Amino acid sequence: MSYDVAITDGPVRAIFDLKGPQAALADWAGDTLPGFPDAPNRRVREDGKTLAHIGPDHWLLIADLTREEALTDALKPADAPPEISIVRVSDVYAWVRITGPDAAHVTATGCPLDLETFPDDGADFTEFFTQKALITRGGHGFEVAIDRSYAPWITEMLARITP
Amino acid sequence: MRNRLPDGGRIDRTRRISFTFNGRSLSGFHGDTLASALLANGIRLTARSFKYHRPRGIVGSGVEEPGTLVELEGRDASANRPATTVPLRDGLKARSVNCWPSPAFDLGAMTQIAARFLPAGFYYKTFKWPNWHLYEPSIRRAAGLAGAPAAPPEGRFEARFAHADLLVVGAGPAGLRAALEAGRDGARVMLVDEGIEPGGSLLNRRLEVDGKPALDWVAETVSELAALPNVTHLQDATAWAYREHNYLMVNESSPGHGLLERSWRIRAARVILATGAIERTLVFGNNDRPGVMLASAAQAYVNRYAVTPGRRAVIFTNNSSAYAVAADLAAAGITVAAIIDSRAEVPQETREFVPGIEILPAHVVTRARGHRRLRVVEVAPIQGGPTRRIQCDLLAQSGGWNPAVHLWSQSRGTLRYDEKIASFLPDAPVQSVRAIGAAAGDLTLPGEAPYKVQPLWRVEAAKGKAFLDIQNDVTVDDVHLALREGYGNVEHVKRYTTGGMGIDQGKTGNINIIGTVALQQGARMEEVGTTTFRSPYTPVSFGAIAGQRDGPVTLPYRHTPLTDWNKARGAVMYEAGARWQRPGYFPRPDESFQDSVNREARVVREGVGIYDGSPLGTFEIKGRDVGRFLDHLYTNIMSGLQPGRGRYGLMLTDDGLIFDDGVVLRLSEHRWIVSASTGHAAAVQSHMEELAQTQFPDWQIFLTDVTSQWANATVCGPKAREVMMALGGDIDLTRKALPFMGFADGTVAGLPARVVRVSFTGELSFEINVAPRHLPELWEKIMAAGASHGIQPVGSEANHVLRVEKAFLSLAHEVDGTVDPHDLGLGWAMSKKKADYIGKRSIALRRAGGAVRRELVGFLPEPDRQVPEGAPLTPGGKTRATEGLVTACVWSVVQDRWIGLALLENGASQHGEMAHVRVKDEVLPVRITAPIHYDPEGERLRA
Repeated sequence: MSYDVAITDGPVRAIFDLKGPQAALADWAGDTLPGFPDAPNRRVREDGKTLAHIGPDHWLLIADLTREEALTDALKPADAPPEISIVRVSDVYAWVRITGPDAAHVTATGCPLDLETFPDDGADFTEFFTQKALITRGGHGFEVAIDRSYAPWITEMLARITP
Repeated sequence: MRNRLPDGGRIDRTRRISFTFNGRSLSGFHGDTLASALLANGIRLTARSFKYHRPRGIVGSGVEEPGTLVELEGRDASANRPATTVPLRDGLKARSVNCWPSPAFDLGAMTQIAARFLPAGFYYKTFKWPNWHLYEPSIRRAAGLAGAPAAPPEGRFEARFAHADLLVVGAGPAGLRAALEAGRDGARVMLVDEGIEPGGSLLNRRLEVDGKPALDWVAETVSELAALPNVTHLQDATAWAYREHNYLMVNESSPGHGLLERSWRIRAARVILATGAIERTLVFGNNDRPGVMLASAAQAYVNRYAVTPGRRAVIFTNNSSAYAVAADLAAAGITVAAIIDSRAEVPQETREFVPGIEILPAHVVTRARGHRRLRVVEVAPIQGGPTRRIQCDLLAQSGGWNPAVHLWSQSRGTLRYDEKIASFLPDAPVQSVRAIGAAAGDLTLPGEAPYKVQPLWRVEAAKGKAFLDIQNDVTVDDVHLALREGYGNVEHVKRYTTGGMGIDQGKTGNINIIGTVALQQGARMEEVGTTTFRSPYTPVSFGAIAGQRDGPVTLPYRHTPLTDWNKARGAVMYEAGARWQRPGYFPRPDESFQDSVNREARVVREGVGIYDGSPLGTFEIKGRDVGRFLDHLYTNIMSGLQPGRGRYGLMLTDDGLIFDDGVVLRLSEHRWIVSASTGHAAAVQSHMEELAQTQFPDWQIFLTDVTSQWANATVCGPKAREVMMALGGDIDLTRKALPFMGFADGTVAGLPARVVRVSFTGELSFEINVAPRHLPELWEKIMAAGASHGIQPVGSEANHVLRVEKAFLSLAHEVDGTVDPHDLGLGWAMSKKKADYIGKRSIALRRAGGAVRRELVGFLPEPDRQVPEGAPLTPGGKTRATEGLVTACVWSVVQDRWIGLALLENGASQHGEMAHVRVKDEVLPVRITAPIHYDPEGERLRA
């Protein structure tokens, strides 16, 4: 008997890597960014945009791909002042969604985090089948973003769990 | 099943099971182990020993079993499984290991004739002439275990992570109580137990808990645990390793979901070890005869499996626990001829367990007699005296109990020797862990006589071989020999004798080795100490460790967006650094490997080719201090680079050796792109992050890995510009507007792109960088635009040829961790203006020493033939110290011959001279040349 779980590949999303002091980023980006999360490894979702606090002075802005150009125009990565860094990284990540009653179990085959206590607004870089990955809750399960070049490997690993 | 009791036991008599052992058809019941089923069928001789091929039977009833290992066949295929841990199932096929043709008649038993010449460590001292390897195969065959199965088992394995507030290891009485209390308090509890069913030692004994039959209490407790949503109970799940930060490995058998095994990696806030205790053997003559069994095992077979392991038993003990065993055997109808107790005094409360059974205090068994089965034991007073012979077919022995401290010790907790129980106990914890119950030395269960023991590490008057480690055939004499030869430390004794190094890890006998050493040295037990307890606690299958990563896929691999396209064109794919799967070449029908590579290399030199350069490591660096950061990182000056331009550079290690090379692009005043070799991208990133965070924390440097944000198609060859023009776009591609080492952002074929003029082939090249989502479309458009020019895809093999012709350095070929820029003729890339950069001083110091260096040269084999890469160069091809090595040798399509590169001592001054490559049975002369075989001025790449 296999697991009661659905595994689906997500589409490419608009993602911007933001580094630098929070105040400087807020000054530069204005209302383009959602409010900043209160704590590390948390995310804030507003108006279809997600801002995830993934490290010291380090955030990811995530939105639908349709908003990539508009966000690029608003954030102006090439013109940003030297004290901050804004880099478009939309294509770096491939997205996998694992949902269903057994989602936590299947996700735990690759992820060492404590998924039972993982908060709804969590956004944590961790490992997934030994590769660096961003994990969040999504639907009735989890979403995992991994380096796109490893997507076939991740797909194969998940297929082996849910043949 | 002639030895099956008519009733009782925890077997299901309605479910009869057929199995075969050594080709013989037998039957048992559901709930049996292979060991209990064999005993039920009256099979006592089950194995032959590791070294001497002595007859062996079943000794234990669980993971401690030292006597009988079996090989399972068919769908259960696995080797060296203790018969006591193999659950019986229909169709099981098992056979004894280490005997031929059968345990009853084993030709290997001939070694017993020469046993006196095979003491511990004999292989260190004999079979040396003319060569140990001459004898090794036959010795290994004679003293080996079962081989690995020819094929992996049918089915899947799985690994998963889990977390708990409390992990309880062991579902015996102590573990069940602990799990229940924590579960009732709401803690997130995981309870794991290695047994087929919970209960631990209660399964084997006739006891009461809380005023009710113990197994009723177990059932109620398990039922309550199952009802608690915060408790996870894994049965048939062995905790086999205890790592740092309360991280434990647990292997669960048959967990469902079609799995063979599941490997749990559990991180727990607290751990309770309720791992119980393991009974130890006694050391007397022929203590390995079939029929000599641990007392607790005999009790388990009678009570749990309703099997009589013998008809007439003798008990040999040094402690009180065996008296309850005697009582249970008698209750099962087995005649207990006598209890031999080495203690001078037997407490009255213990005697009361065995009314009517003869007790011989202050006596020992000196020898067991019988060959393939026990027939008689010889008993004598411990202080010496007349020997008495007692007929029996079962000797139930108990040398006392050892708390199972294996996991405790793995957690790095300390142990202390406790005189009262004559064993080592958990002492000071290092992690958040506690031992309870028998694992903590509490060896008396309610309803049992108080545990009292007087250690007996060996019977002084033993006659015949007295085994300390039954599985590895290690005797008292072996340990004495090791001590005589100077191996006084217990760890050295272990290695010299192999005591405790078997599959059972000496669970029943290690303490006797320690005791024997202590007696011989006149030392206390704590002075001798224990050997290191290592994982795994019990054997673990490779499949469980690998989890999903079995078969051909064991390591992660990476793909570019063109993998499907490449495979559809018949590309031969393989790893080409940093786990990237890349096309090696694109063979056409009836084309050899060399033909394919030649064709692809030629199309780049004469027309136009295209390759996928996406795996190249790429990083965007931002900040006010990036310029001086890169100046520190590279050998040449980067801070002077103008926006819109790029520069090739070398990174060195602190030792002044080449670490990596790459191209730096300056996008604007504060934005830069750094590229790194595919194989070194991760290391370069770590290097930069470490420098930025530890050496220059105040510098403003933001590093972002954009390797997977940019994919690139590189169009290369004399017709490359024509193809680029045909693609269309808004970038001026003329030599003046976009020169070598220049770049421009714009559109190519309607797609946003950054075009970079770098070359890894030595030809005119345009590296078109786009988002990976656009690469397949771009690629198709390039193929269409280049069709009229005969464009072809090029694999990594042809790229290798092209770079060798140009002497472009390659990681793991010329850059082997021993060379500096001068060695490779790249001294020009080392700035003389910069005050310092990584590796500068090291090179200066080394060069000041004037030592001979290996320098990069080209070579032409004479006669013209291929020379193996990696082959050594020696003076005159003689058997002398090497003076260099071949780093590459390829067929050059422009030279129409074999060419190569090599590192050769003082090679730069030997151009035109002959050198010699030494290979097996041959010397290959080569003529040394300048490294660059083609277009030394670089006119083509600047075209």
